[in-house]
Amino acid sequence: MKKYYYIVLLIIMTILIIGSISPEYGNPRNMDYINYYLEHGVQDTGAINLVASIYLDYRAYDTLIETVVLFMAVIGVTFILSKGK
Amino acid sequence: MKNSRIIRTLAQKLLPFIFLFGFYLTFHGHLSPGGGFQGGVVIATAIILLTLSYGIKETENRFKEKHLSVLEKLAILAFIFLGLLGIFFGYPFLKNFLPLGQRGCIASAGLMIPLNLVISIKVAAGMTGIFYALVKYRGEI
Repeated sequence: MKKYYYIVLLIIMTILIIGSISPEYGNPRNMDYINYYLEHGVQDTGAINLVASIYLDYRAYDTLIETVVLFMAVIGVTFILSKGK
Repeated sequence: MKNSRIIRTLAQKLLPFIFLFGFYLTFHGHLSPGGGFQGGVVIATAIILLTLSYGIKETENRFKEKHLSVLEKLAILAFIFLGLLGIFFGYPFLKNFLPLGQRGCIASAGLMIPLNLVISIKVAAGMTGIFYALVKYRGEI
């Protein structure tokens, strides 16, 4: 029973991966959102540095989870190292 | 274990300048390359330099590990609180609700300066915590 479960899971994963590969990935016509950031980034966020406007405004949720990941790393290091003594 | 007097004096004199550079990187994060993560790591290197020159005991009298870990958790809570504050003003989560200001000034871009400050405090406390753990349980400094 477990075997069939994994086989079905593998088939679904391969279908999803094949479906998500687009042959025109590097085509400059498909870079609409990058051009949107370049044109509207300064007006929308008010920051000159475009990198900051992306990681603190458009993708701020990603930054929040990133800080939580660092927090987990600190907890893990202190826990594992203090276990020996 | 103590290092020579020259190293100790130099580390003591360099400490405020390294702090200053870290806060400069943090507060200019929306104007020039840098930002919260980089500024936090630079601030952490100041405390690491103090530990390498003075030893862990004298450094812990100044920057206690308990206070640093409390500061780290408070920074994460402040980040989430700043995100939730936008909801009360009628915006989505983590949306900028402060005025944008004039472009190119330090006091511009709304919510970016508080977020950068919170991230830098969090990263500095976390890096120092990792270094303290490494020195205390596995090192001999």
